[in-house]
Amino acid sequence: MPEPEKEKAATSAPPVEAPTPPAPAPPKAVSAPEEAGSQYFFGEPLVGFDPSEITGSLIVIEGMDGSGRSTQIALLQEWLESEGFAVQTSGLRRSNLVGRDIDELLAKNAVTRLTLALMYATDFFDQIEHRILPALRSGTVVLADRYIFTLIARGVVRGINRDYMSGLYAMALRPHLTFWLNVRPETAFAREFRKAQAISYWEAGRDMSLSHDLYWSFIRYQTMIKREFEVMAKRFNFIELDGEASVPAVNKLLRQRIAEQLGIRATKYSPSAALSHLWR
Amino acid sequence: MLHFGPPSAQRLMETQDVVQKPARSEPAKSTLPQPGRPVPSRAYPGALIVVEGTDGSGKSTQLYLLKRWLEIGGYRLHFTEWNSSPLVKSATRRGKQRRLLTPTTFSLLHAADFADRCERQIMPLLQGDYLVLADRYIYTAFARDTARGCSPRWLRNLYRFAPIPDITFYFRAPLDVAVNRILSGRPKLKYYEAGMDLGMSYDRAESFRLFQARILEEYDKMVETDNFVVLDGTMPVNKLQKQMRDIVASKIDLKRFAPRAEAAE
Repeated sequence: MPEPEKEKAATSAPPVEAPTPPAPAPPKAVSAPEEAGSQYFFGEPLVGFDPSEITGSLIVIEGMDGSGRSTQIALLQEWLESEGFAVQTSGLRRSNLVGRDIDELLAKNAVTRLTLALMYATDFFDQIEHRILPALRSGTVVLADRYIFTLIARGVVRGINRDYMSGLYAMALRPHLTFWLNVRPETAFAREFRKAQAISYWEAGRDMSLSHDLYWSFIRYQTMIKREFEVMAKRFNFIELDGEASVPAVNKLLRQRIAEQLGIRATKYSPSAALSHLWR
Repeated sequence: MLHFGPPSAQRLMETQDVVQKPARSEPAKSTLPQPGRPVPSRAYPGALIVVEGTDGSGKSTQLYLLKRWLEIGGYRLHFTEWNSSPLVKSATRRGKQRRLLTPTTFSLLHAADFADRCERQIMPLLQGDYLVLADRYIYTAFARDTARGCSPRWLRNLYRFAPIPDITFYFRAPLDVAVNRILSGRPKLKYYEAGMDLGMSYDRAESFRLFQARILEEYDKMVETDNFVVLDGTMPVNKLQKQMRDIVASKIDLKRFAPRAEAAE
């Protein structure tokens, strides 16, 4: 028979749905970690880091493949640099620690969903600790090409408990701005296919056996991901932008919000010759 | 191929709370399963026996002897070790060699390793009515990573997919005994093993001792909360083994795992 006391201790839950801890901790409202909790993290502090040292800004661009994320990041980087800001970019699978290992796992397709989710988490925190935090401490603007939200959504649509996934990222830094370039999966498919003449196994969610038809697999998978994003959009204060609009139109909206955040007065920008091919 | 027993998937879902059916838009909070709830014996037909304890507590020797006893008896069993999945081995090695690991990434890599073994070996075997013996389990991560400063709440969530053991033996040895066993037998302690990343001492042996003291403290905290069966690691090996076997025989219906008539292996 499990005594209630023992059970409580053994069931430490993730911060999001955490039951009120027993005394003497001051009782918090269930939703407290989300709104009023840490200003810097999603619930738990990161071991060994003093967040008050952060002087830079973390700006996240989320959206499915084909939503225009990388185009916008390239343009924003140029704009910010022309405004005199140091810029660092980050993205999934770019860590020194496990970036390549994940590539291999994905190529072999011999990995279970939980292991993959945890490898992505390792990759994420390695970049946070070795790339993003040092940059933020030195006043750099970090442009993140995707963030925990994609990782959470991918886990959840594969049947991993939503609280488990957000608990995993409890020590992730809270972005100053999170943009969501929202596009219809059909549009994203067309754009991606035009770009590479192919759709990747994982981006189509082929591991989930949704459909043998590549197109439908992609559409169904991305629709599920999109639904997760809709759930998160409110909870995490996403700034939702219409990813179907033209590159200059989306870029203008991004610049306006970022200028506001960074205290830049003029938002005028047109790309250099090197990037002008993106401007359409 | 292993012969898996009759379907017990429904009962299994009770512990495997992390991996649910594909999520709908918003599950009602009350229907969310309780994480880490101790429901071992009815959650899966197999049985899970775990040994835990600090380095040098004698746990591996004892588990080996238990395994021999069961093997000689012909029982259906599987032995698994902490940190042994080939999948993440290269990442762990690289991280350790280049000292890239922080408390958080150290913890996550071990969790990935464990998840791989859990999903591909431990859970299927427990479903298939096997006796699974584990040399170190999630409590190693709880003790070690908490000693490194990770949040206990975060850690509990991280490992909440793990089935709760039927028996967790905790081999408790005084710090000096355990530390001396290791220091006398091992020429050089490794960087992370000695807890050098915590910066407590430049001397490896001293750092190791301080790190082990913290780990021991964390283990002791779990005796109550996680129903450890505490055994005295300083007892003579054969006497300790007798105790261990008696406890196993009394808590686990070993007949279930005895050789089957049509034994296919």
